[in-house]
Amino acid sequence: MSLNWLFRGGLVAYTALFFAFIYLPLALIAVYSFNSNPVNMMTWEGFTTDWYWQVLGFKTTVSEAAMYIESTGQLLAALRNSIVIAFSTTLISTVLGTALALALYRYDFLGARTYRVLMFMPMLVPDIVLGIALLIFFVNAGVHLGIGTIIIGQCTFLISYVFIVVSSRLAGMDRSLEHASADLGANEWVTFRKVVLPQLMPGVMGGALLAFIISMDDLVITYFIAGTDVTTLPIFIFAMLRRGIKPEINAIAVMMLTFSFLVASLGLYLRSRQK
Amino acid sequence: MIASTRDRMQLGLLLGPATVFLAVFFLIPLAIMVVTSFLAPGLYGGVEWEFYPHNFGRIFGFADPAFEEFDPVYLEIFLRSVRIAVLTVIATLLVCYPAAFCISMMPGKWKSFCLFLIALPFFTSLIVRLFVWVLILRQSGPVNGVLLALGLIDQPLDLIYTEGAIILGMVYIFIPFMFMPIYASVEKLDWSLIRASQDLGAGPIRTFVRVILPLTAPGIIGGSLIVFIPALGNFIVPAILGGAKVMMLGNLIEQQFLSARNWPFGSALAMMVMSVMLVTMMGFVFVSGRRRSSMASLSGGQRGAQ
Repeated sequence: MSLNWLFRGGLVAYTALFFAFIYLPLALIAVYSFNSNPVNMMTWEGFTTDWYWQVLGFKTTVSEAAMYIESTGQLLAALRNSIVIAFSTTLISTVLGTALALALYRYDFLGARTYRVLMFMPMLVPDIVLGIALLIFFVNAGVHLGIGTIIIGQCTFLISYVFIVVSSRLAGMDRSLEHASADLGANEWVTFRKVVLPQLMPGVMGGALLAFIISMDDLVITYFIAGTDVTTLPIFIFAMLRRGIKPEINAIAVMMLTFSFLVASLGLYLRSRQK
Repeated sequence: MIASTRDRMQLGLLLGPATVFLAVFFLIPLAIMVVTSFLAPGLYGGVEWEFYPHNFGRIFGFADPAFEEFDPVYLEIFLRSVRIAVLTVIATLLVCYPAAFCISMMPGKWKSFCLFLIALPFFTSLIVRLFVWVLILRQSGPVNGVLLALGLIDQPLDLIYTEGAIILGMVYIFIPFMFMPIYASVEKLDWSLIRASQDLGAGPIRTFVRVILPLTAPGIIGGSLIVFIPALGNFIVPAILGGAKVMMLGNLIEQQFLSARNWPFGSALAMMVMSVMLVTMMGFVFVSGRRRSSMASLSGGQRGAQ
């Protein structure tokens, strides 16, 4: 019996360690972000919210030397680009990915199986390979690198994600309802709109949410095809990190973590309610 | 299934746009990259249209004698990348495997909460999660701080910008990728088989090696594959945690494209990443195919009874 207790204790301890490994580092930045010491974050000098105010563009007592964003405008421009790109890619990839999933679900044509397998390719090809392939392609085609190329580049792999999420939803759907609707005299379009679409919607929304989140966070592919004048949020932070670390980056990191925690919690909560 | 022209039109309408999009912006770019990897680099960036195998030669020992002698540095970077990716897979596996068992034994409510906590980081910014480790590992970070305070070391250790730092960072970001497939196979584990093994006199180690490990192998193999592929060509983790000291294929490719402007060589390096990925995938298909047939013959009777 005591061995059993020891075993259980060990399991609980391991799980605790596991989650500590995942979450303690994130808690650390949160603590650092409120430390007023501008030089060494390890030494606690007092509680302050100045870093947050500074990032948001307010005047604070923090000296200029401790900062490295020249203006909050740059950060906001990067954020705005990221949001514009994420909305565009989500729209395009959701429409195209859903159409593909529907086509493969409704029609059994020659090559449908190959198609299904090929749709995994954009997800499996390493980011960096796709990034440079697109860079070579756009430069050879004489396309100016910018928001347009980023949107196209991200869609190439986001379509796959949407396709897979929607396909799995379709696979779990009850086809007899469609037949019933047809038997009761509804035409194809009415059946699609009133029977298939409502059942499909959670899958489409899930795919869209996933596409949005991945788009907002994409660094590698965007990095190669962004050109010189467009910056997205992840690229902006990557560039900051390469220039050295100053405390305001903690505040930005904490705001981003909080935001994505809220969105992800909401998404996962909604999904759990559907079941 | 396709009966009428109307059906055919509908199918074309659904299939067409995405197919054209992916053909133009996915397949063609990859094909151009393959071609580029066999072309000679131009003097000022760009390419010369002639067959030039020396891009691969720079890696494997037949560099263009007109320009340079063979330098094993590229081969070293390639081997280092493979080594780091393999070590990352092993470390992530060792961290996630016990955790999957712990969590699968929890009562329902706790279980779903834990799964939520594991999935959550996947939705947060990758760059922020890596940045944390810069804070932790650097010379003025808490790890060195604690070790110094305890008197275990006199000088801060160089923890960051090492292979270890890269592996740690990769383990941290790939945990959800490895955990989920393993957890799925642990959840499906038939505990009566484990009890049977113990009843028949097998010790814990024997039970683990002969029963638990084979039954959870699909999760282990699947998880290893989806960690290995992005780890091999990764460029963000070594860029942030490896610095200029520990270079991987990803950084080398970035350098060839954005600063050295030798696109053919960069493409050849990308082809190396792709080929290792393809070989790994084919191995995966082969192993899972063989496993399926051997498992089917082993547990065919049991499956049939269910």
